[in-house]
Amino acid sequence: MNSLVAMWRRPVSAAGLTATSVILALATPYAADNARRIIEEVQRRTDTMSQQYEGLLQVVDAKGRVADKRWTFERLGSHGRSRSVLRFTSPAEVKGVALLIVDHADRASDQWMWTPAVERDRRIALQDRSTRFFGTDFSFEDLEERDVDQFDYTLIGEDAIDGAPCWKVGATPREAKSSQYTRSVLWIRKDNYAIARTENYVKTAITRRLDYSNLQNVQGIWTARQIDVVDLTRGSRTRLTLDKLQYNATLEDDDFTVQALRRQ
Amino acid sequence: MRSAPTVVCLGLLLLLGYAGSARGQTVLHRGFVEGSVVLFPQQAPNDPTRGITDLLVRDEVFVAPTAWLRFAAGADLRANSHDQVADEWDLDFSDRGNRRSRLAVRRLTATVRRGPVTIDVGKQLVRWGKTDLVSPTDRFAPRDFLNVVDSEFLAITAVRGSVQLGNHTLEAVWTPRFTPSRTPFLEQRWAVLPPEAAGASIVETPPSLPAGSQSGVRWGHIADRLEYSLSFYDGFNHLPDMAVDVRAGAPASAQIEIERIFPANRTFGLDFAMPARWLAVKGEAVYVTSSSPSTDEYVLYVVQVERQRGEWLFVGGYVGEAVTRRHEVLTFAPDRGMSHAAVGRTSFNIDANRTLSFEGAVRETGDGAYVKAEYSHARGQHWRTTFAGVGIMGKSADFFGQYHRNSHVRVTARYSF
Repeated sequence: MNSLVAMWRRPVSAAGLTATSVILALATPYAADNARRIIEEVQRRTDTMSQQYEGLLQVVDAKGRVADKRWTFERLGSHGRSRSVLRFTSPAEVKGVALLIVDHADRASDQWMWTPAVERDRRIALQDRSTRFFGTDFSFEDLEERDVDQFDYTLIGEDAIDGAPCWKVGATPREAKSSQYTRSVLWIRKDNYAIARTENYVKTAITRRLDYSNLQNVQGIWTARQIDVVDLTRGSRTRLTLDKLQYNATLEDDDFTVQALRRQ
Repeated sequence: MRSAPTVVCLGLLLLLGYAGSARGQTVLHRGFVEGSVVLFPQQAPNDPTRGITDLLVRDEVFVAPTAWLRFAAGADLRANSHDQVADEWDLDFSDRGNRRSRLAVRRLTATVRRGPVTIDVGKQLVRWGKTDLVSPTDRFAPRDFLNVVDSEFLAITAVRGSVQLGNHTLEAVWTPRFTPSRTPFLEQRWAVLPPEAAGASIVETPPSLPAGSQSGVRWGHIADRLEYSLSFYDGFNHLPDMAVDVRAGAPASAQIEIERIFPANRTFGLDFAMPARWLAVKGEAVYVTSSSPSTDEYVLYVVQVERQRGEWLFVGGYVGEAVTRRHEVLTFAPDRGMSHAAVGRTSFNIDANRTLSFEGAVRETGDGAYVKAEYSHARGQHWRTTFAGVGIMGKSADFFGQYHRNSHVRVTARYSF
């Protein structure tokens, strides 16, 4: 879910970051270099050991009908090497459904879903990620935590979201990412490097827009407590509100395995 | 164990009651009330009933008083218009009766976790394998086949230990008490009797359930682009062979005694999942051996491919079998009955609340087939209604075809809480 809460980041040492920057400055165009540096700073500022929250999802379909869903989310580790578990707590018929996401720095994540009705885990295939996640407007891919190395970047320009000046950065997935999106455009606030908006494109058509709002400084990390995603092909939208958000809590590695998924 | 020990009942009731009172602990409480109506357009020779109503109330609670200890408890309450539920109100723990229990323990488990080691003790569901339509390696998963094409898994009493080290998982299961699959009643339509038996008196003698324990181990590995497991099971087949004893007499007065026998099995299994960019390939194979001289030995396998495209899911595959030692024995084996057939399932999420799905199997010889269409609609936060139609066709000698009079429609309403 970190991609949803502005965690586009990568843990690199200061020396590594400097060396990478020097190489990139020599080898890539100025705009692309600047764009990548911005994204690297986004990741650096949101680097945490762990994250957990309770999410309230409000799905509004094209006819205006609202359905609420709730989940708990826990993530261990950072960006390209993180593991996350998401468990539905409401509505009643999906209570206990869980998703394990294992992120990789160099390729698309691995995902498994636990369905209590059949007491089995199921590997989510790569091509499944464009599917809507349990009737929400998030796709399985949207639940992945993006890593700076999975995309190539271009600084498109500058813009303002709700009066806040932003950099506008284009991100094109690399081959190994295996993304449903042809490209994404990110608005990144200049004052705190928080992502304010993301637009995802399939070919030239925009398919999903995510707006990040109610920005709060939680344990030193600027975090959007509210994320609105609009599926522009369906006309439906989902609002995710983050409650009981906490960073750097002590979580156990053994709780982020396929075996652990069945511990309800 | 028909009547559960007092301690089991008390434990179950305490845990179920705990859900409403626990504070500051991890508690998950869920359940549903489900009513269904099944209508059969055709009458079966041994069963004139064409409409069956069924009620199931399920309540489950999961409590984690500490990070290393969890309890799970669940109970089922059932009613049925076609005598498929026992009359007694005793709380049944073992679920080994011919009929479904009126009141039964669905699960009662304590789970202890220490680092990478997890141990589950009690009544639980143990599922192995990766394929969806048929799962030959799923050896600890007996089922309720009172309706053969709409079966439900039964929990078993077991100790299950697992260790996860990195991408490797080792799991061991030991079950002291055998739980058979529930087979169709001879006087009901899902037991298809040969025409030669018409007029004869057919008696089913009580089955002699194996007294020994069963055990199994499974090692799994998750690699970058491949996930696979090897498994070994030593126990009994939860699907029975049928011993038939025909007592002499005129055809109209002949007596036929049938006894279900659950042969000893030793199986070696492999299952895998290989997600790729365009398709996910999944498969399972099991080699079933037996120390019983009168039962078959065989390899049963399934290979399926999956493709998700937007809100569409396509699953298609083939179930095959190679018999390595054959005996002329009458069996009730829905898993083998699916062999030599192409199987498939397609589902489409119309929107967040509505799903349409189709499922089917066709024998490679064309001798039998079944198809199922289902429309499911959720309303609000609690209600779901499902309409299903099942068509079965084929020759009487075929596993599918023998049920050609059992095409039916089902309407189910569920309230989840």
